[in-house]
Amino acid sequence: MKSYIIKRACLALGIIFCISLITFFVLNVIPGDVVAAMLGDFASKDAIEAARAQMGLDVSLPMQYINWLKNILTGNFGNSYFQRKAVLTLIVNAFKYTFTMAIAAYIVAIILGLLTGIFAALYHDKLPDRILMSISVFGISAPSFWIAIILQIVAGLRLGWFPVSGIKSGIWWVLPAFSLGIRSAATIARVTRTSMLEVLKQDFIRTAYAKGLSKRRIIFVHALRNALVPIITILGNDFGVLLTGSMITENVFNIPGIGKLLIDAINRRDIPLVQGGVIYVAGICVIIYFIVDILYAVINPNIRLGGEK
Amino acid sequence: MRKNIKKYLAAFAALSLLLTACGGAKDAKSDSSADTTQAGETKTGSGTGEKVLKFGQANAGTGLDMQKSTSSGAASIADEVTESLLRFNDKNEEEVVLLTDFPKVSDDGLTYSFELKKGVKFTNGVELTTKDVQYTFERMFTPETGAKSTTYFDMIKGAKDMLAGSATSLSGFEAVDDYHFNIVLEQPFAPFVKNLGTSYADIFPAEATKAAGADWGIGTNLIGTGPYKILSNDDTTEVVLVKNEDYHGGNVNLDTLRVLYYDDAQTKLIAYENGDIDLSDLPASQLEQYEANHADEIKKYYPLGTTFISLNLKSEYISDVNVRKAISLAINREELVNTILAGAGIPATTFLNNKIPGHDDSLPVMEYNPEKAKKILADAGYNSGINLTAEVRDTDEAIFNAIQGYLEEVGIHLEVKKVDNATWNSDRAAGNVQMTGMQWNALYPDADFQMYNYFYSKNSNNRGVFYDNAEYDKLLDDARASTDEKQRAELYKQADHILTFEDYAAIPLYYPQSQFIAKPFVKDFTVGNLIYHFWNVDVDMK
Repeated sequence: MKSYIIKRACLALGIIFCISLITFFVLNVIPGDVVAAMLGDFASKDAIEAARAQMGLDVSLPMQYINWLKNILTGNFGNSYFQRKAVLTLIVNAFKYTFTMAIAAYIVAIILGLLTGIFAALYHDKLPDRILMSISVFGISAPSFWIAIILQIVAGLRLGWFPVSGIKSGIWWVLPAFSLGIRSAATIARVTRTSMLEVLKQDFIRTAYAKGLSKRRIIFVHALRNALVPIITILGNDFGVLLTGSMITENVFNIPGIGKLLIDAINRRDIPLVQGGVIYVAGICVIIYFIVDILYAVINPNIRLGGEK
Repeated sequence: MRKNIKKYLAAFAALSLLLTACGGAKDAKSDSSADTTQAGETKTGSGTGEKVLKFGQANAGTGLDMQKSTSSGAASIADEVTESLLRFNDKNEEEVVLLTDFPKVSDDGLTYSFELKKGVKFTNGVELTTKDVQYTFERMFTPETGAKSTTYFDMIKGAKDMLAGSATSLSGFEAVDDYHFNIVLEQPFAPFVKNLGTSYADIFPAEATKAAGADWGIGTNLIGTGPYKILSNDDTTEVVLVKNEDYHGGNVNLDTLRVLYYDDAQTKLIAYENGDIDLSDLPASQLEQYEANHADEIKKYYPLGTTFISLNLKSEYISDVNVRKAISLAINREELVNTILAGAGIPATTFLNNKIPGHDDSLPVMEYNPEKAKKILADAGYNSGINLTAEVRDTDEAIFNAIQGYLEEVGIHLEVKKVDNATWNSDRAAGNVQMTGMQWNALYPDADFQMYNYFYSKNSNNRGVFYDNAEYDKLLDDARASTDEKQRAELYKQADHILTFEDYAAIPLYYPQSQFIAKPFVKDFTVGNLIYHFWNVDVDMK
């Protein structure tokens, strides 16, 4: 287990390094001069060149990358060209919003998804199963911006139940959580149903019933635990996606999270901010997948890590 | 137990359907959204009739230091806090703010003498003196500041030396005493006093600005002499301004001005419908939709700008004036404004905006005559048609799709490529854009801004236009040196004629209309020219 963790950690660092390298060079070869964009319409060519030198952009690309890497190793992600703030500060601030939204959406997704999936499995091929699975297809297919706008107009504007945009306290998170969580809930519901159906057919469930265990215990302890492996994969992936931000949901509900921060940075060619953001996203993904792998082993001891016996 | 499980699961399943299935008329607001609003008031206030106005706009994301930002959105906040020596009011007339009177100009047009009003205090309690003005201008020209609009002021003697790093003080600034100073120019420049009325010349308190360093304009690090001061600013979602009780310009009507950032136009207007904001700009694309239900709440105004096709005059085909003239004749400007813009504009009669002195008011809308365009192209030897390429930003795509149709009719095949802002900027600066859309807005009603900054030979190179006409340049040089406004207007009129009708160096399309939407209780609010000012606005609490 220990050597597996060390191996995975080294691999994770390698992945992050490669991603940063690719991002850096891609950002620098696509059209668009960040200095010209930054200085605006009145900048002369001399002023642009002077600013380029001041920002350390007058050296070769490999040198720029090495300089950036050196700074990263000392914890300095640089400053945003446009917002004039430390990249790390901007990412941490945006992360607070994205993390809260991800947790809220995750709660919605897990509760709705698991319960709907279990319920559908229990009523396999009956009317409730068909209705719920049809709804889940709708949940997967409906674009999140559409769900967001419908929720905003119906539950916010027309019914007045929830605030339509902005974030101030808990209730402000309800609509973003539902609009972001519904898609994941639908996916989780379908996987849960399939997985539960497999498990419910197995002998140990019959044995459990024969032993007189309560149905609640059989379903939520014995069946669900054994059905969890594929569900955890989905949960892990979804949480990674949620944590890396949703530009659309953040935009519609006016939430200054990671997705919005990164899209704005890309549009402006704010390279230090994009680089910092990409490292963040890569880091989140790597960590989440790592945790998911560990959880596999915890939930299902039949799975052994790294060929250990 | 089975029944219980069923009950719980059914409840959750029903919950999943609830929000998409519900509908019906709006009945009552929950407490959650009531935070936001009764006429101009918030429940978060004391409930004692505090006057609060909530203004929604996109976040410029540049900070509020107007030496480092050129955004009108940033200026709409910064101008409430910091003031320049003079300013343009909402009728676009210049008026003194921090001075006792307009500056006196020496006979040679080089020395401007100023007298500051006594007793004007920054909101940190420090009195405004000559030192603050001097510090502000020297900071602007210090290279490390990275000021973006030095071009408006670099005619001050010594400014270019500071910008080049060869001087650390501004030799053209002569401090006489705490309230009197002179500014000396290198050469006469008629619009200088007008430039002093822009946000880029906002006066900062020397000591506080130095103390804030690079953070000036970020968060609450902005102190001025203006009608409001910053109570809170997270730079991301909201800036809260409160009345400056000691404002030297008299009583301020509002107690609190909340500026809420909404980057998505649709979300901003839903927030307006919901009462989360009381005032917002209204994009032309949503004008028709809102005119149906909120016609009385929409206010239109005309900024001092012109929307035109910017051309690379060195590029293939475009270098031929006949092609440029044919393009101009092929476009039906009235139809363009009425259809694509839903009427939100005035078809152009010439390049210079119709509210700027020098504009020829006798001109009709620029001619639409596709047959004549075809003949000009045929006579110039382009019988088999020509291919042109336009590189445009998102905002100009619809207009250029229409132009593509007009040009096709006269035998010009136009390829329209949409690119993002950064690509557009660098391609244009490199001279790689054959045609593009541009809206060029003057900061104040003076032709110099529109004509010199874009088409004077040395400036047009930076914009990828490459216009070089010695006669045009001479007229602009003369107009800049003259202090006779009538004579200046005449010179600009002549230059505009050369630019638009002799050289066809730009293809003017229309003078844009802008609009904002405000709740009925918002009183005395007008916009002069792009920047929103809240100096006189009030809310009716009845």
